[in-house]
This record gives sequence, structure tokens and C-alpha cells, in this order.
Amino acid sequence: MSQVASFGSTSFFSGKPLRFIAASILLVNGMFPALWILFTSLKTEAELTVKPITWLPHQPTLANYIQAFSDQPLHIFLFNSFMVALLSTCLTLLVSVLAAYALARLNLKYRGLILSLIIAVSTFPLVTLLVPLFEIMRALNLLNSWIALILPYTVLSLPVCTLMLVSFFEGIPRDLENAAMIDGCTRMGALFKVVVPLCAPGVFTAGILAFVNAWDEFLLALSFNSNPALRTLPVGIQLYQGEFAFPWPVISAALVVGIVPVAILIVIFQERVVSGLTAGGIKG
Amino acid sequence: MTTQTIATSDRIEKAQPGWVKLLDMSDRALAVLLLTPAAVLLALIIVYPVLRLGYTSFFSLSLTSGLPAEFVGFENYQLMFTDPVFWETTWNTVLITLITVPGALIVGMALALLANLPFGVQWPVRLSLLIPWALPLSFAGLIFAWFFHSEYGVVNDVLARFGIQGVIWFNSPNLAFAAICLTIIWKTSSFMALIILAGLQTIPRSLYEAADVDGAGRIRQFLEITLPLLKPAIVVALIFRTITALQTFDIPYMMTGGGPGTSTSTLAMYIHQNTVSFLDLGYGSALAVVMFALSMCVTAVYLRIIRTKE
Repeated sequence: MSQVASFGSTSFFSGKPLRFIAASILLVNGMFPALWILFTSLKTEAELTVKPITWLPHQPTLANYIQAFSDQPLHIFLFNSFMVALLSTCLTLLVSVLAAYALARLNLKYRGLILSLIIAVSTFPLVTLLVPLFEIMRALNLLNSWIALILPYTVLSLPVCTLMLVSFFEGIPRDLENAAMIDGCTRMGALFKVVVPLCAPGVFTAGILAFVNAWDEFLLALSFNSNPALRTLPVGIQLYQGEFAFPWPVISAALVVGIVPVAILIVIFQERVVSGLTAGGIKG
Repeated sequence: MTTQTIATSDRIEKAQPGWVKLLDMSDRALAVLLLTPAAVLLALIIVYPVLRLGYTSFFSLSLTSGLPAEFVGFENYQLMFTDPVFWETTWNTVLITLITVPGALIVGMALALLANLPFGVQWPVRLSLLIPWALPLSFAGLIFAWFFHSEYGVVNDVLARFGIQGVIWFNSPNLAFAAICLTIIWKTSSFMALIILAGLQTIPRSLYEAADVDGAGRIRQFLEITLPLLKPAIVVALIFRTITALQTFDIPYMMTGGGPGTSTSTLAMYIHQNTVSFLDLGYGSALAVVMFALSMCVTAVYLRIIRTKE
């Protein structure tokens, strides 16, 4: 890391004041919106309608959080989001591990063609399939079910995860696998006992990206699951808006509750996420 | 590199005793088996729906009327050309793409150059680029709707501190559009910054040292060393950003709901409205075909760039 370039290595550009200003800009840009929502969620309705507006909450209260859970079934939205994201992530990983293994290890005739196809699919605008997917889910009686979301979300992350895993698999020496097979493992045994554990960091990174993709998705969730009991978080949060009222403190509290799980994931695994994102060149 | 390893492994496999091979299938059978789940999913969620999309776009199919689908040829497409809302939403989508993609690139480049300074601690910087990326688009839309709130929003408050009279952002089509574009640029620039930052960190310092010796100034170094070396990473990031910009839905939906009127509505929002609210699947399909064609053009450019690289 010492050999990397910095834009400017001498004089003003590496000076302390500049670094302080740069850090401030980056932190304010990245954190301020989330912090502002946190402050709003701690304010009372009365404080919110004072002018000029206050920045820090004067009498911090958790009442908005209690109201966020009692006004709407926020815990159900969270549960739906979590289960849909988790199940689609597992399915994505299983399918992409198998496909990536075939592409990385087996001597395929059409390898180049298949990889090009996967890249083309990775840029596919899922929005355009809203109508046919709606028709299909309706015909299969799958509207208002987790499956209606799990299948499209799996496909949403499948290309990127497969491409990432192909490059991870290619980095694992074949000798290890061959040794396992000589010791009596079948090829699938070698895949799941030797290759996958060695690729665990890569598989895990792909999993985080798939999870965040699914956690964020809005349009399909909005279109396919109208039943409140099956709404995911981004869709459910809309229900807090009354016909005329827009209870910002309560909405803010619900937003904070929705941001925290992914924020924790990002804080813990930040280096891994960055390496995964920049390796794949993923949509964002 | 890959072909080399494949060759070695073939030799090893040939050297294995026969009973090891018996436990395994042939490579071809195994490949088919391993690729089948992915192929089935893609066929069900992408290939069949695409065919179905094209098919339905030639039918009059409205679930509200209860009538069976009726073949109408190009009627849906003809209708589109005389539909002012189609032109308005398409124009908005193109405009959002033309404004926010370069906008995110410029802001992302600035953030990446700042983040590449030699900070003692790296994680706060990294985190401040990751949080906007991980925040759901719909959440970003809601948060910024609150930012731009005319009475109690922080944007008007900051403007007031500088003595500028705040405005009612969501009452005017132009201001609402500007607020939406700013939000999209904020949300997407962090991802650009992460990609560019990763590129910056692979440029060897020695190149800049050599340029220093040659007496090249900072700006020339940036233009002649940094930018050319970053180009591949930037091109890929730009293409993905362009394709997602064409699908813009969440942020305008949450911030303005397309209003005032349909002045900030996007093509994706119009497709959603026709499909889910009006249940007019025929017309919705024709609209989606247009969006599909738009994004396929971008994908074609992308595949071409990748090909020429190989």
C-alpha cells in the first residue's frame, strides 16, 4: 500500500489542513443524510414544527420508535424484507457457485459465449419485465407471496455473483481439488469440501452484495405484494403517510430501523464489500 | 493462463487410476448439470418474460375490462406516438440520464481524489462512501424529500442562513426535477467514487515521480497519467450507471410521485402506472419494449468495448 499514488504527494496537497477539509467533506457527504434522519427521529412533533428549525434534538425521545412499531406492523415489514433477502441470497449463491465452478474448472466449448451472455444479462433492465412477470406471477397465483420476489431477486444478483465467483475459483490451485479426488472425494464432494471453503471469503462477499440488492429493491415489491402482511420494508414505509399528514418523526424512526441492519453489515465487512464491488464493477 | 491450467489438470486426470474416473461423470455431463439451475432460472425470469413482453405488446389486454386479449397489431405503438405522457416521461428519463450520469461521474471523481489522500485512519472515509451506496434508493428518496421540505427542510434552512429565501421545491416542475437529480447524483456518486478510488490505488507512484522530474504540473499529471489509466474502470462504471439511470423509479416516486402533474414522471413510473394501476398490460408492454430497446443499445456498446479489449 505504500507504493500507491496519491493525487499530490507534496506541498499543499498533503498538508494537514487540506486533509482535514477533505475528511470533513467526505464525512458530511456520506453521513449527514443518515444522521439527519436519526436526529429527526428523536425529535417531538412539537419541536419539528418550530421555526427556525432546530438541528440537534432538544428533548430526545424514543416515542417515535414506539409509534413506528404500533402504527404499522414494522416488525413484519422487517421480517419480510429479511426473509426475502436471505432466501434469495442463499438461492443466488447455490446456483452461482455451481455455474461458476463449471465455467472456471470444466473445459467448456462455449465458455466465452456463456460468459458474454452472463455479462449481457447483468445489464438487463428488470423494470421492463414488470408486465410479463406480473402476468406470470398472477397466472401462477404467486402475487402476494415471498416467491414472487425471491425468484426475480435471485436473477437480479445471479450474473454478478457468478462472474465474481468464476474469478475466485480460478484463483484456487487445481492440485488441492485433485488431491481430494484422489483421496476418494467425488467431484461435487471436492467442490463443497475443498473449493467452497477456500472461496468462503469470495462466496461471503457475493452473498453480502446479493443481500443488499434484495434489501433495496422497491419496484417489484411494490407491484407484486399489495397485501400489508407481505410488504417489504421499502414498500411498507409508505403506509405511514396519512392522506394529508406526513408524520416525519415516525417515518424517520422507521427509516432508521431499516437502515441499521444493513449499516451493521457494512461496518463489519466494509473492506470485503469494497473489494467485491470494485472487482465486479457492479450496478449501483 | 486459464487454458494452461486446464491442460495441466487434464494430464493429472489422465494419470489417475480408472476407478477415480468412474466416480465422476464426463466433463460435459457435469457442466450441463451444473449450469442447468442457472439456465432454468434465466429462462423462467428473463427469456420467457422477454418473449411474452414482445407478444403482449401486440395485444389489447386490459384486466379491468375483463375482455379476452385481442390482437391489435401495432396499435399500442401507434397510440404511444400520439400519447403526450409517453413523450414527456421518456424525455424526463433521457434528461435524468444525461444529467445524473455525468454528474455522478464528476462528483464521484472529486470524492475519490479526496478519499485517496494519505489519511491516517482509512475506515471512516471508506464507510462514508459505502453508506450512500448501501442505502436503499427508496429510502434516499424519502430522506431527501424531507431535506427539501419547504417549511421544515434542512436545505431551505441552510439557504436562509446565507440570507437566501427558501423555495417550495415540489411545487415547480423545474425545481422538483432539480431536487430529484441532486438526490440521484448524491446516491450514485459514492459508487463511482469507490470504483475510481480502486483504480487510483493501482496507479504506481513512480509514474507521478517521473512526471515531477519532467516538470509536469499537477493538472497535466491528472490529465495525462491519472485519467488515461482510470479510463477502463470509468467506462464500465458509466455503462452500468447509464443502464440503471434509464430505469429510474424509486427516487422520483418517493420524492414527488411524478408531480406536479406528470412533470417529473419517468418511463419506469409510467410503465408501473399502466401495469399496476390501470392494469392495461398491452400498452404497458409496448412501453417496456421501448425501454428495453433503449437499454439494449447501451448494452451493445458495452459488449463491444469488452470484445475489443479481449
